[in-house]
Amino acid sequence: MDVELAKPFIKAAVDVLSTMAMITPEAGRPYVKKNNVAQGDVTGLVGFTGEKSGSVSITFDKALAITIVKNMLGEDVQNIVEDVKDAVGEIVNMVSGQARAGLSQQGYSFQGSTPTVIMGDNHTISHVSSGPIMAIPFTAAFGAFTIEFCIE
Amino acid sequence: MSILDGFRDKDFLEQITLLNDLAANRPAEALPGLLELFENPIGDSSVDSMVVIALNALLAENEPYAVECLGQQDCKLRTLCIRTAGEHRFASAVEPLTRLAEETQDQDLALECLTALARINDPAALPAFRKHLASTDPLASGLSIEMCGHFRDVSALPWLKEVVRRSLTGDRYQTCDVPTWKAIQALGDLATDEAVQFLASHLHHKNPIARRLITDVMVELGEKAIPALLESLYSPDEDVRILAANVIGFTELRSGGNGLVDAFDRGQADTANVRYAFYEAMGRIGTMKNLVCLMDGLSEPDELLLMAVVGGLERHVNPGMIRTLLDRLHRDDEQARRLAEAVISSKAVNLFQTLHDDEPAARQLMDVLVQSRDDEIHDAFRQTLERIGSDRSAADLQRLAEAEAAQSTGRRALAVDDSRSMLALHRAILGDLGFDVALAANGQEAMDHLLSQGSVDLVVTDMNMPVMDGMQLVEQIRNDPDHESVTIVMVTTEKEASQRGLAENAGVDAFITKPFRPEELKEMLGKLIGN
Repeated sequence: MDVELAKPFIKAAVDVLSTMAMITPEAGRPYVKKNNVAQGDVTGLVGFTGEKSGSVSITFDKALAITIVKNMLGEDVQNIVEDVKDAVGEIVNMVSGQARAGLSQQGYSFQGSTPTVIMGDNHTISHVSSGPIMAIPFTAAFGAFTIEFCIE
Repeated sequence: MSILDGFRDKDFLEQITLLNDLAANRPAEALPGLLELFENPIGDSSVDSMVVIALNALLAENEPYAVECLGQQDCKLRTLCIRTAGEHRFASAVEPLTRLAEETQDQDLALECLTALARINDPAALPAFRKHLASTDPLASGLSIEMCGHFRDVSALPWLKEVVRRSLTGDRYQTCDVPTWKAIQALGDLATDEAVQFLASHLHHKNPIARRLITDVMVELGEKAIPALLESLYSPDEDVRILAANVIGFTELRSGGNGLVDAFDRGQADTANVRYAFYEAMGRIGTMKNLVCLMDGLSEPDELLLMAVVGGLERHVNPGMIRTLLDRLHRDDEQARRLAEAVISSKAVNLFQTLHDDEPAARQLMDVLVQSRDDEIHDAFRQTLERIGSDRSAADLQRLAEAEAAQSTGRRALAVDDSRSMLALHRAILGDLGFDVALAANGQEAMDHLLSQGSVDLVVTDMNMPVMDGMQLVEQIRNDPDHESVTIVMVTTEKEASQRGLAENAGVDAFITKPFRPEELKEMLGKLIGN
């Protein structure tokens, strides 16, 4: 059983992005991948440990990441690269925190690691786990993002 | 007077301390106060979340009340009680939760109920899971499918088959969705004849991940899967016969090994591709019948097939086999030369060690070995010669060192395949072309190699492999600027245009279809990157 653990992450991502970045994402159909690689322009990755261990990543298109930063900081964007990094790290942290709070109500206790942000057009990153990875694609007004979720 | 009187007037630290205390000691009389705080939150997220934790702790002690609240219309408390019931596996909650899951139109509520029921793990909840098998919420349907499999609910079989069939319609095969993933695993959990038969008939699913999942499930099923797999050896579709032989080989079961020989004798291995898969599988299993069949295979003129045969025999060296091999090598004809090449190319060090006792055989093998330009082959046989420790092996070590000194190369290639024989063949061909050749058994190993050893000029990769398949490997290589200029050749037995289209989009430069003659690959590489 692990499919149901994804729901709190989906919910948290939608909540956090709509409240913090004024973006209303729509979830697409989840799919399964067996390679441990996330692809995209900006990725925030958080590992977690506890009853089960695994990792969650959110990978944004460049355009969407920039929109998020602008929505969060208004006109106060100083250094777009640093600000994107900071904003994506913050969002992933909040999503992970909120999802873990949701999961703790179901009796799962997880500890999250500090998020890592990876940038670079079409980069690839590795998840901690070796099991199948569930990917949930989202679309929003200014681009797409994908949450990937894997549990040992 | 209640413990929580005046709670809202306390400061933050007092509130947290009190709630922590309630969560730890769970006094029943605190329930009404906590419910009030839950319904009308303080507004501080830390305190409110502590209220939930404390309330959850108290509800855990009060199963009848928590179960009673499942019937409430108040969503918030009901949701909390559903989660509490799941977490603490309240048996008395199964009936109301099942009813709720069956009746509700609200997908979120349904998923909450199903999640709790899955954790309680009582087959009485099956009606709820059956009801949501075809849910439009992929998480609810995935979970329901998984639980029907878990409880071996045979009534779900038709739907599970339907899910897998649907995953092949239109362009749906391009991704493997959650219900398909769970349906394949659930069919394996059911393990009825019909389920296994169905999986066997979908061994060649168009989606690479689904195909891998089916293969994994079949290997796990072991003996139960063998009859259906043996039947698939008689499929008119060549690819199905190949995949069935592969899976039988992975199970390493004797029943499968003998069935392979029967199918072989009845002419099912009529093409080189299928024969190759049969030999490899027989080599993995190694029953007496398998070994006899492999010995007959020593007459194969095709280098690739001969390597599969030798690779298989290498795993089960015995004196009778050595006598036959010596007899073949002593004939000193064309086939003897091919055989010596196959022993060297497939790094059959065990066979080599025993054959080296015989002077003419040792000479033939050494003649081939010094021609090889592959460092790994040299290393492997150098160690074997050192192990042998005879006068002849000492002289041969000297000869090998001289041959190495005369060779040097600059170009680097990486061959990726889960078949040892194929890797050995690539090593031989690419070595001949003057490449320094590195080998990897799957995409992940290949990526690890590229990361640790730097880029290469050429990657030759298989399509279907465990851990990470060729398609994913190509995608990753192409997404890394360090490897942009790598030439990628994909070796495949797949004939559908769809598969090649996907690979071409991922960034493959050229394809070659198994089986191929070494010259064909050499010619293609000559055109792609020059000699």
